[in-house]
Formats: sequence, structure tokens, C-alpha cells
Amino acid sequence: MDKPITLREELGIAWKIAGIRLRGQMAYRTSFWLQIFGNFFTNFAEVLALFAMFYQFDTLGGWTLGEVALLHGISMIAFSLGDLLTVGMDSVAPQIRSGDFDRVLTRPLGSWMNAATSEFSLRHLGQALQGVLVLGFALTQVEIAWSIDKALLVPVMFISGIALFMALFTIEAIFSFWTVNGVEAINAFTYGGSDLAQFPMHIFGRSLRFIFFWIVPVGFITYYPALYLLEKPDPLGMPDWFVLLGPVITTIFCAVVSWGWNQGIRHYRSTGS
Amino acid sequence: MPIIDVHRLEKTFPIKKHRTGAMGSIASLIRGDNGGEFTAVNNVSFKIERGEMVGYIGPNGAGKSTTIKMLTGILVPTSGEATIAGLVPWEKRKQLAQKIGVVFGQRTQLWWDLALIESLELLRHLYRVPEERFRENLATATDLLGLGEFLHTPVRQLSLGQRMRGDLAAALLHDPEILYLDEPTIGLDIVAKEAIREFLITLNRDRQTTVLLTTHDLDDIERLCPRIIVIDHGEVMYDGQLASLKSRWGGRRQLIIDYAGDPDAAIASMGNGDMAVTEVDGPRVTIAFDRDEISAPDVLTRASAFGEIRDMSIQEPEIEDVIRRMYDGSIPAGM
Ligand SMILES: Nc1ncnc2c1ncn2[C@@H]1O[C@H](COP(=O)(O)OP(=O)(O)O)[C@@H](O)[C@H]1O
Ligand SMILES: [Mg+2]
Repeated sequence: MDKPITLREELGIAWKIAGIRLRGQMAYRTSFWLQIFGNFFTNFAEVLALFAMFYQFDTLGGWTLGEVALLHGISMIAFSLGDLLTVGMDSVAPQIRSGDFDRVLTRPLGSWMNAATSEFSLRHLGQALQGVLVLGFALTQVEIAWSIDKALLVPVMFISGIALFMALFTIEAIFSFWTVNGVEAINAFTYGGSDLAQFPMHIFGRSLRFIFFWIVPVGFITYYPALYLLEKPDPLGMPDWFVLLGPVITTIFCAVVSWGWNQGIRHYRSTGS
Repeated sequence: MPIIDVHRLEKTFPIKKHRTGAMGSIASLIRGDNGGEFTAVNNVSFKIERGEMVGYIGPNGAGKSTTIKMLTGILVPTSGEATIAGLVPWEKRKQLAQKIGVVFGQRTQLWWDLALIESLELLRHLYRVPEERFRENLATATDLLGLGEFLHTPVRQLSLGQRMRGDLAAALLHDPEILYLDEPTIGLDIVAKEAIREFLITLNRDRQTTVLLTTHDLDDIERLCPRIIVIDHGEVMYDGQLASLKSRWGGRRQLIIDYAGDPDAAIASMGNGDMAVTEVDGPRVTIAFDRDEISAPDVLTRASAFGEIRDMSIQEPEIEDVIRRMYDGSIPAGM
């Protein structure tokens, strides 16, 4: 097999690996379900907080409960699926420290793909399920005048959202190629970003908005698509086509992260035995 | 064309200055670890032809693992070139991975939480090994390495020897052209060591797989590697046939003579430079001699003057001794 592996083949392999690992985990069926439910309930507080808030106020920055729930649902689904697809990234830092990362580099798979699949867990489905429920609730509360462009927007929105969070989870791993501690700071952007993206961005101050639109572009994956779906005017006064910036900025973001990952790989030192 | 061609390979590691805390990490991120540099592999060159089995040996910290890691594409060298099966490892890592098998004695390629057979299944997909080929290779490995008894055991429950055999099978599923083994017998008992040696000999003979093996265990070398490359402090000290290393520099063989009774005490001072009595233990006398200076029958003739000889045997130089003397600097480095 002298041909370089194609992306399609890599995805196929990743899929099969996930299947085999899943089968392994299903052997411990109770623990498997417990993990998913555990994950479901850890994130339950967020949803409760949302309802508590609207118990006090009717609107938040001009948005109703249903409308904010829409943001919550999108953000939770994108975040949890992004997390699910990059579970292996959590183990990159310890693997680098122990030198076990060596084996990631002896396999005929892209190093990122290999690292991402070095662990596998479905526990994040718990949060995804919750996101789906919240989204379902939101859809019963808001009126969306569906059209072709809106229908097309939905998959684009989810794909760029998931990709963005995958990239964010990768950044933390990238830093561990250079430094052994202090990478938790990156978490603030990932987790903070997903939290912020659950609210209408215009309620935040200028500097937070700047960060979460132009540096960690989570604002583009929930806020503008939601405005578009709901046909609400943008209090920030940006034009309609801003809704298209999401995928564009995500693509740029992913490209930068992918470059950073490759730099990290070249910088990898392994460990002396 | 050599299948492994290494030219002036060098790897330096930054010496870490320990900074702690978040500020420390940021400082080291920005400035780098400026504690100087340490050269782990220095100007290493060698060529290996297809089908060779070469021992890459040297004391702890000599730079063996670091070399192997560059030849697999795990590490990017500081300078120098390498072509492995026509590919530059650190540039065509993915493609190369399909052509090489790697076994690190201290580190498993298998998944701890899966049964061995599941790990192998996973690797089959990773390496895109056709189902039928997989079955054949699995059968061969099961047969020669005796995997049968623990195929369904989770890897974390395997003994070191079992895990090692599993790792070997795993490294060979995709019929690699080259097999790198880094300390494959470390920590194993004699039986497991022997099983692995037998397996490697069969593999090299039947499939012409090129093998580059690092080891501490000089028995591995004696059994497996006609050619050795000796490295110390990152530099190649010897590259050539094991036999010629022994004969050229290990020159001193030992003749052990059993006399019928205690020999004449004067035997202790026998010889002058060409041979020397190293031990007198009752009727047993050990004489070291340089085969370039004097032949064994001549030694025997001269020894017979000191008593009636009943039996004798010749001991070839031990590779340990040769290499130890090489490290001590009592043997000139290089070819
Ligand atoms: N990742 C690393 N970072 C810093 N120093 C290293 C690293 N890997 C190896 N070294 C150092 O380089 C030297 C050679 O190491 P290694 O190649 O593992 O030796 P060997 O395998 O021959 O025992 C040792 O002094 C070791 O401490
Ligand atoms: Mg080593």
C-alpha cells in the first residue's frame, strides 16, 4: 500500500475503531449508561438556571425564554458533540508527558485523527441529549417561518459549531507540546465561550464581545444564525450577511489550529527512557 | 539501494531549566527552555541493506532510542538526513508507518482496556490489512509465539512476556518491510526471550524482513545479529561484523587446561606478552593468549612442560568483554 491514505479512508478507519471500542465499553453496560446519565445531570444546573432566570424576568435583552433556549440548545449540541469527537485530546497532555504519544506517531493515520481516536467515550451524549431536549422546547416556544435558506442554515450552523469546539479542544492539547502546566487557562475560552454562546451576545460588554466574536468566534455559531432564523434585527447593527461569517471564520480558525497542531508535532520531544 | 540510509544524523535536546507555575510556563513558552543543549545523537551515519538483521547497541543513554525515534518519524532531527524505504521519515511519517513495524520494549502498542485479539482487530483496520492476510498473519503469530492462550485476555492482565509477544504480533500484522525493535527482551525470562529470538530468526529468514534491534542483552546480539553498530555518547564507535569485532579487538581467547595433578608452580610466570596465565586453581589453569601472536597448539605445547595435561578447552572472547573494553577506550574506535 504505497498510496498515501485519503481523508475518506481515515474517517472510515476512525469510524471502525470507534465501533470496536464501543463494543468493548458495552461489556460494562451499567457503567456505560451511568456515564451518560451522569453527564446529563452535571449539565442540568445550566438549564435550571435558565428557567430560574425567566421566572424573574420576561425577557433578556429583548429575547424571550424560547429564543434564549434556542441559543442554549444549539450551543449545547455543538459543544457536546465537539467534545465527543475529540475525547482523545484530553489524553494528549498526559501522553506527551509520559512519552506514550510516541505510538500515535507510529501509525499510518494523521496524527490529529489518531490522537482524537486514542480515547473514545459516549458520555457526552448525555449533554447532547439535553441540548436536543432544550432545542425541542425552544421550537415549541418560538415561531420560525421556515424557508429553504433557513433550512440550509441549520446543518451549516451545527457543522461549524461542532468544528469550532473541536478546534478549541485541540488548542489545549497543542499547548501541551510546549509546556507541561498552565494549559488550563485555555479552558476558560472553551467553556466560557460555550457559556456565552448560550446568551444573546449583545447583552455583553464590548471587550467580551470582541473576544468571543473575533478571537474565539463562538458568537458566530449561535447568535447570528439564531437572529437569522428568528428574523430579529441585530441590536449590534451588523448586516444580514454576518450570518455567513460563521462557517468562514470557523474555517479560518480550524486552519490556524491545524497549523498549530503540526507545529506541535514537529516540536514533540518524546521522553528519555 | 540500502533500505535504511542514515547520513550525519544529529539530535539535540534543550536542557530544561525548571520553571514552575503559570508564569513559569508562559516564560518558557515565550523564551524557550534556555538551559543550553544536549546532544543525544551526534553525526550518526550508516546504511542497512534489505534483509539484514543489525544490532544497534550501546550503554544506557547512548542515543539508541533517540535514533530509532528519528527513523520512525517520531522525532524530527536537528540536522542530517535519513531515507527509510525511500521515504524521509519525518516528512512522510504516515506513509512510512505502513512499511515499518515498531516495538518498544518499555511501551506497548496495544490498548490496555481491550483484549489482545481486539487490539489486533483494531490494528488491522488502522493498517488496512486485508481480512485474509490478517488471518494468515494471526495464525502464524499464534503458532510461533503461542498467543492462543491469551488472545482473549485484556492487555492489562498480560504478563510482560505475553504482552511482548502480543506487541510483536501486532507490529507484524501489516507485513512491514522493516522492523524496529527497541529493547524487545528487556525484563523477560529466558524462555520468553528465547521464543522471541526464534521468532525473529524465522521472520528474517522467511520474509527477508529487515530488522534493526537495540538491546542491552548481548545474548540477543550473539543469537540474532551478524552485524552490529556500537554507539556511545551519541556517536558510532564501531560498525561491522560481530565476528570481526571479536577477532580483531576481542583478540584474547582463553585456554583452560586441566592437568592430571597440580602443575609446576613456575607456570604462573609462563609467557611474555603473547600470552599470560590469568588463574591457577589447583590442577586447572587459565591462560589468555592473543591469537594474532600465538596459536592454540603452540600455547598447549609450552604448557605441557609444566605437567601432564588431561583435558583442555578454548573460550572465545565474550562480546561483553569486547564492548566493555571498547567503552574503556582500550580499543581504538572506528573500523
Ligand atoms: N525527550 C528527551 N528530552 C531530553 N533528553 C532526552 C530525551 N530523550 C532522550 N534524552 C537524552 O538523550 C540521551 C540518549 O537517550 P536515549 O536515546 O533514550 O538512550 P538509549 O536508548 O541509548 O538508552 C540520554 O542522555 C537521554 O537522557
Ligand atoms: Mg533506550
